[in-house]
Amino acid sequence: MAFVKDILDGTKTLLTGMKVTLNNFRKPSITSKYPIEKIEMSEAFRNVIVLIEKDDIQSHDCIGCKACERVCPSFCIDVDGERPEGMRRMRATEFKVDFALCSDCGLCLDVCPTDTLGYSKIHDETGYNRSDFVYDLLDPWRDAEGPTVERLRKLEEEQAAAKKARTVKKAAAKKAAAKKAETETSKETTEETPTNKNDAENNDA
Amino acid sequence: MPSNILHFFDNFWLAIGATIAIVMAYLSVNAIMLIWLERKLAARIQRRIGPTRGPFGLVQQIFDMVKLFSKELITPDHVNRVLYLIAPVMIFAPVMALCTLFPISATWVFHDYSVAVVLLLAISGVNILAIFFAGWGSNNKYALLGAVRAVAQNISYEIPLILSIIPIVMMANSLSLYGIADAQTGVPYVLLQPIAAIIFIISATAETNRAPFDIPEAESELVAGFHTEYSGMRFGMFFFAEYSNMIIVCGLATVLFLGGWKGPYLPGPVWFFIKVYALIILMMWFRWTFPRLRFDQLMKFAWMVLVPLALINLLITTFVLKLI
Amino acid sequence: MASRFDVVQDAESRDTYYLNMGPQHPSTHGVLRLKLHLDGETILSVDPVIGYGHRAHEKMAENRDYLQFLPNPSRVDYISGMIYNIGYCQAIERAMGIEVPERAEYIRVIANELNRISSHLLWLGTFLLDLGAFTPFLYAFDDREKILDILDRVTGSRLTYCYGRFGGVTLDVDDLFLQQTAEFCTHFKTRFALYEELVIDNVIFQERTVGVGVFEPDLIQKYGVSGPCLRAMGQANDVRKDEPYGIYDRFDFDIPTQMAGDCFVRSLVRMDEMRQSVRIVEQAVKDIPDGPFIAPKVPKRIRPAEGEYHFCVESARGNFGIYIVSDGSDIPFRLKMRTPSFANMATMPDVMKGTLLSDAVAILGSIDIVVPEIDR
Repeated sequence: MAFVKDILDGTKTLLTGMKVTLNNFRKPSITSKYPIEKIEMSEAFRNVIVLIEKDDIQSHDCIGCKACERVCPSFCIDVDGERPEGMRRMRATEFKVDFALCSDCGLCLDVCPTDTLGYSKIHDETGYNRSDFVYDLLDPWRDAEGPTVERLRKLEEEQAAAKKARTVKKAAAKKAAAKKAETETSKETTEETPTNKNDAENNDA
Repeated sequence: MPSNILHFFDNFWLAIGATIAIVMAYLSVNAIMLIWLERKLAARIQRRIGPTRGPFGLVQQIFDMVKLFSKELITPDHVNRVLYLIAPVMIFAPVMALCTLFPISATWVFHDYSVAVVLLLAISGVNILAIFFAGWGSNNKYALLGAVRAVAQNISYEIPLILSIIPIVMMANSLSLYGIADAQTGVPYVLLQPIAAIIFIISATAETNRAPFDIPEAESELVAGFHTEYSGMRFGMFFFAEYSNMIIVCGLATVLFLGGWKGPYLPGPVWFFIKVYALIILMMWFRWTFPRLRFDQLMKFAWMVLVPLALINLLITTFVLKLI
Repeated sequence: MASRFDVVQDAESRDTYYLNMGPQHPSTHGVLRLKLHLDGETILSVDPVIGYGHRAHEKMAENRDYLQFLPNPSRVDYISGMIYNIGYCQAIERAMGIEVPERAEYIRVIANELNRISSHLLWLGTFLLDLGAFTPFLYAFDDREKILDILDRVTGSRLTYCYGRFGGVTLDVDDLFLQQTAEFCTHFKTRFALYEELVIDNVIFQERTVGVGVFEPDLIQKYGVSGPCLRAMGQANDVRKDEPYGIYDRFDFDIPTQMAGDCFVRSLVRMDEMRQSVRIVEQAVKDIPDGPFIAPKVPKRIRPAEGEYHFCVESARGNFGIYIVSDGSDIPFRLKMRTPSFANMATMPDVMKGTLLSDAVAILGSIDIVVPEIDR
């Protein structure tokens, strides 16, 4: 009798399974027709890195510091920068990424001092050979590089002027303060730090 | 009596040629459509979309056909050339022969043989031979294993298959497919012989090497089983034979258990094909639901469950028929 | 228990043969090669040949600094990459004594457990694929896609995550993430019924798995079996409980165990583990505090003091250990990864002996190996 019961129980489980597939048969499909309907990439989606436009300078802000090149585990970033005539800050002259080697780890984004690196949202690029995946990130910025440098130079001059005015003002204030105060050392350090910080900010901006 | 196709043509050879042409045309279209149906069905079960080229993805099959035809026919080294080359042809031959046996309506039948059931079972045995040729001739261990499994499985399942047919033959008192279908007046045999019907459909699934009994070509174990070494249209022949075989066994099941062409309102051929394709869909549904059995469990199932059940069923039928 | 067949003693006197299963084979999950010595369909001996997916991850560690090795661990086991990635971060944090903010710890637990569920779902799919059922594979992938979508939103990757950083994670999670995770948990709990009806209860599945591939208790000592394979042998061994890392000691969850040690209970253990992971995720989503997601002060130079460090986490496959020998420089002197699949796969010659070819496929599928993780 156990034999018959086994068969009946087994048949029941098989029918349950068929019921499950039938239920799913009736439901609509959950796949998306990929090439026809594009999928929106998420905010954090990682693909080949790009240079992000910074609002205040209306251009990318890569200063060619090579921090990303040094940290890259796959050695796929190639950066070079130079100082344009009469400017304090550097501008990148070359930024190449070999995406065939990239592992999308995001370390370059972490170390970027000017936060000008981001991910592109391309997700379906193809190519016939490896060299197709060497991206020149400066390509979209090249044409506007001349005016940008001019603008930056002007900006820098303005900032320098503003800073000069500020330091003059500060020096005056300091003089006034020094007159009043008896101990200088502690105050000097506290005031020097903000000045340095301002410098750093100017550089970054 | 149904009309014989020979009566339509004066010339005997013309009749033969017409039969072959009709059967081949039907089988090719049928195989293509069944592949499409299976893919669409599987897609729906798995909540996918399936082929999408052309209306309802129908054009996809034509592309696949073109691809199969245009592929290189690779003959591996050290194969037994005769067996290797004959197998794809041989696996398709019995299917073509058997297609002519079915009465698709009260008047449409190519030829009504008085021993059609025996003929059908005998000719379908050639199938196994072709699979074994393919496996043996391929000079591949996977293919050989698949062939050995196929032979053991098909021979084992032929016994419950035949044992489930015998009660029907006894009830209909005829070995002719036309006679059996004709005998089912009012109640189809599936209601009178439910156990035989279940045994038949299980054995038929095993005979056609379809999941969950697809161990001869179990892709996760034997790569592709007996047709591992075949490429291009040679592989296509095995592929087509699988679907054409489904037509044969489902046609047989329709005639034996579902009353063939009989049904209300609609004309005979329509009913016949509705029943056949409903059974085919059932077999496809099996395939996309169940895991595969193991080789020894398959044998155990045939010999320990199906054969005793079929024998008991046969005995009961005999007694009941004698009493009536 | 009747699945073991007597191995013929005088194998030489019979016509036996060798069958190369792999490196290209549908069910070796990548590039594993099994040299099977067969008598008919009965396996006389198995010789696993590994190394086809060797990528020298450990050697790579010796050529780059600790930070640069960060993308590598998730490539070792790409199915549960998050656990490996965060495990490596935790190892370095332990070595350096970096404090991780509360919120980051919770994010890590959620990410880890979601990744564990997705890994087990992939196992379920491929295991059933090995057994010849194609449909559960896609049902499992349906759920897995949901997890990948959730993780994709914050980590930016779908498979080889590089989400962990020393002292935290790269990106903070938002409310939408937590909401999606909670929704997924509620949805996923209803899906177990489907898997049980379609797979676990199925008589063919049980026939194929019950009593097949039984791990004998001596294998634990012999090969260092860990993970679900070990828990299916009745040992309640789980790094998350035994030596809690991160904040795992704060969560209320059980270690599912089973006694039989065969393919079937391994499946049951993994199904139960998914349930427990859902439990952990739900608790973590409920309790996650506000705060920074990365430690404000992480040393610029990762330079563990000279010495040896060992840290292990519970990956989806078992005990994943990281052993670091530091000479006090930026670059590890030696970084050894103890991967669970390697130890679990090493049992194969013992377990597969005397089974059938079909069983070999089932056993290989049930221990859930990731071949590149074996080769590293």
